[in-house]
Amino acid sequence: MNKQKIMLIPLDPVHDVGLKMVRRGLEEAGHETILLPPDLPVEEVIQEIAKSSVNTVLVSRTLGYGVAEILARFVDLLDAAGIRERVKVGIGGMAIRPELAAELGFDAGFGPGTTVEEAVAFVEDREYVEAKQRTIKHKTDFTIGYSYAYRHQGIKEKLDRITDMILTWAQGKTSPGVRRAEIRDELWDVHRWRDYEPMAKFEREYVKHSDEMVRNFYENGVLHSKTRRFSKEEVVGLEDYVARTIETMKVPQLSARAKPLVFNQYGTGCPFMDIGHIKVSEAWGADGVVHFDPSWGARTEGLLDGFLTHEEDGTVLTPANLNRIKRALEESTLWQIRAHRGLNTPETVVLAGKIGADLTKINICYGSLGAGTDPARLTVDAIAAIRFAVKYGMPFDVVTNEELCGVPAFKAFAGMLITAALGVRLGGKPILQPLFCKSPEVMVGGQMTDNYVEFNAAKIMALKEIVEAPIWPGAPVGFLTQTEDRVQSSASTAMHAVLASMLEVDAVTIASADEAYSGGPITVPSKIDTLRAVAEALRFYGHTTIAQTKQMEIWRDEIVTGIDKVLTDVVAKGDFVQALYDGVLGSREDGAYPGRSGRDTVVKQ
Amino acid sequence: MPRILDRIMDGLDIETFIVCSSEEEGRKLIIQLLKDWGFNDVDIVFSQFQGPGSRIRARAYVHRSGDYYGWLKPLDKEDSMS
Repeated sequence: MNKQKIMLIPLDPVHDVGLKMVRRGLEEAGHETILLPPDLPVEEVIQEIAKSSVNTVLVSRTLGYGVAEILARFVDLLDAAGIRERVKVGIGGMAIRPELAAELGFDAGFGPGTTVEEAVAFVEDREYVEAKQRTIKHKTDFTIGYSYAYRHQGIKEKLDRITDMILTWAQGKTSPGVRRAEIRDELWDVHRWRDYEPMAKFEREYVKHSDEMVRNFYENGVLHSKTRRFSKEEVVGLEDYVARTIETMKVPQLSARAKPLVFNQYGTGCPFMDIGHIKVSEAWGADGVVHFDPSWGARTEGLLDGFLTHEEDGTVLTPANLNRIKRALEESTLWQIRAHRGLNTPETVVLAGKIGADLTKINICYGSLGAGTDPARLTVDAIAAIRFAVKYGMPFDVVTNEELCGVPAFKAFAGMLITAALGVRLGGKPILQPLFCKSPEVMVGGQMTDNYVEFNAAKIMALKEIVEAPIWPGAPVGFLTQTEDRVQSSASTAMHAVLASMLEVDAVTIASADEAYSGGPITVPSKIDTLRAVAEALRFYGHTTIAQTKQMEIWRDEIVTGIDKVLTDVVAKGDFVQALYDGVLGSREDGAYPGRSGRDTVVKQ
Repeated sequence: MPRILDRIMDGLDIETFIVCSSEEEGRKLIIQLLKDWGFNDVDIVFSQFQGPGSRIRARAYVHRSGDYYGWLKPLDKEDSMS
C-alpha cells in the first residue's frame, strides 16, 4: 500500500473530533495527514489544498444548517481552481447523507455511524469489507455456577418438608397430560418425523388421551377453527426469506455486560411472522426469545401438528411450527418455550426438548392460581414436566405472574420457591422469575408511590437472602408501568432493565414499546424501540451500582418474613395441593382462584 | 397493493404533531389522512392532546398475522433494490 498524503478539513464552525479520530487511524496506517482548523472560509481551504501535494481530501460537516450550499460551493471552487481532477474527495459527518454526497459529486459520503476503518479504506482505494460478525455471540447457560444453597435455614427446612409432601402426595398418580408426554417421549421420534415418516403408533396412542378437537385433527384432518395451514408457496417463500436473512445477518451484543441477558417475547399467532420478528430481535441484539402460545392451547388436552397460523395472539404449539422457528434461529440465540400453565405442560417440555429449545417455564402455583389449571392436575403434571426438563437438559424459570392477579409478592414468592425446591430435588435447574411490575399489591399498598426502584430491589434482595439461585426478572420487566406512548414505554422498560442489571440478575425479559397497546398486534419496530432503549440504558449505566436504602431493607425483610410465614402455613396444612385450593399461596381475596381446567383428571397409575 | 408496501413486515406507523383544537379532532384527522392514503386497517396507537395540538401516532396494518405476506414472496432481480 502506498503512503498517502491526506488533508483533513472540518468545514464546520467548531466540530472536528471525527476528523481527529480519522487522522489517528490514518497515521496508525502509515499515512501522512494535515488537519486544518475548523471555521476557515471555503476560499482559504481551497488555497490550502492548492498549495499542498495531498492526494486525498476528507471534509467533515456536523452542523446541518446551510450544509448543501457550503458543500456545493466547495466543489465549485475545487473545480474552478483545477484541483478536482488530482484529488480524491470524501465528505463525512453528522450532517452528511450518502445521497447528498453523490448529488454534489463527492467521491464518497460517510454519514453518521461511519467507522474510522471505512475512511481508511476509502483513502487506500480498497473496498471496505465490513466484518460479517463484529462480535461473536455464544449461547450461555446462565444457571451454571449456582449452587442452590440456602442462606435461610428456616425456609430451607420448610421447603424440604413441602417437597417431601408433594412427592409423597403425587406417588402413583398420573394424568392424560402425563400420559401424552410419556407417549411423545417414547413413540415420537423427531428425526423420523423430520423425514416425514408416518407415526401411526404414536398417533394411535396419543389420541386416546386427547380432547375431541385434537382427535378430530389426527383422525379426520380437521383444524381448530381459528387456524389455517400455510400454502406450499408460503413455505417456499419463508425458506427463501430465512436463507437470505441469515446470509446477511449480524448478531450484535446488546451490551458490553455479560449479564443480564435480554430476552423478548414473540407469539404473533403466526410462526412465519414470528420468524420475521425473531430475526429482527436477533439483529438488534436480543440474546433470547420466548415462545407464547394461545390461551386456548392451555385448556386443550393435546397438541396439533402442521404449519399452522392462527388469527389471534399466541402461536400454536405444533412440532412443525416449533421446528420451523428453531431452524430460523441464530446459533447464539437462547430459545424458551413456555410450558407452565396448562394441560400440556409435561408434553410441551418433551416437545421443546426434542425440537431443541434451551429453556422452558414451569410453575405449579401460577398455573393453578392465575392461569386456570386445576391445582391437583398441575401438581402431577409439573412433577413430570420437571423430570422431562431434567432429561432434556433444560433449565426452567418459575414465574410469579399470580402477582398480576393481586397475590402479594411474598405469597407468590413462596409458591415460586416451592416449585424451585421441587425442581432442585428432582435434579433440575430452576431459575427464579420474580415480576418487576407495578402489581395490584403495590397499587393498593403504595410501595411505588415515590419510585419503582425500592420495592423491585427489595424483591431481588429478599430472594438473594434466601437462596443462591439464578434470577431472571420478567416477564416482561416494567409490566403495568408502560403506556401507549412508545417513548415512555421504551424508557420505562429500559429503566427496569437497568435496575435489574444493577441488582446483578442473570437475565431480563423485556416487552416491546407496544406493550400497552391493545388495538392490534404489536409491530416489529416496537421491538426495536425497546431493544435500542435497553441497549442505550445499559451502555449509559455500565457497571454502576445502586445504593441500598433503608426502605429496601425494610421491604426485603417483610418479604422474607412473609415467605417464611406462608411456608409455615403450608407445612401446617400438611397438604400442598390442599393449600393451593384453600388459598394459602394466594386467596380469592387476593385475586387468585384455583383453576378448573383438568379437574378430576388425576388418576391412579 | 404497491410492491413497496409488500416489504413492510407488519404495520406502518405515522407519528406526527397535528395542530388541532381537541383530542377528538386530532384523532379524526390522522385516521382520515391514512384513509386518504388508501389504508383501511388503521388505528391510533397513541394520542396526547395539549394546548397547541396532538402528538399522535397512527398505524396502518399492512400485514396482520396469518395474512399472505408480501415480504415472503421470493425476490427477483428487479425486486431486490440492491
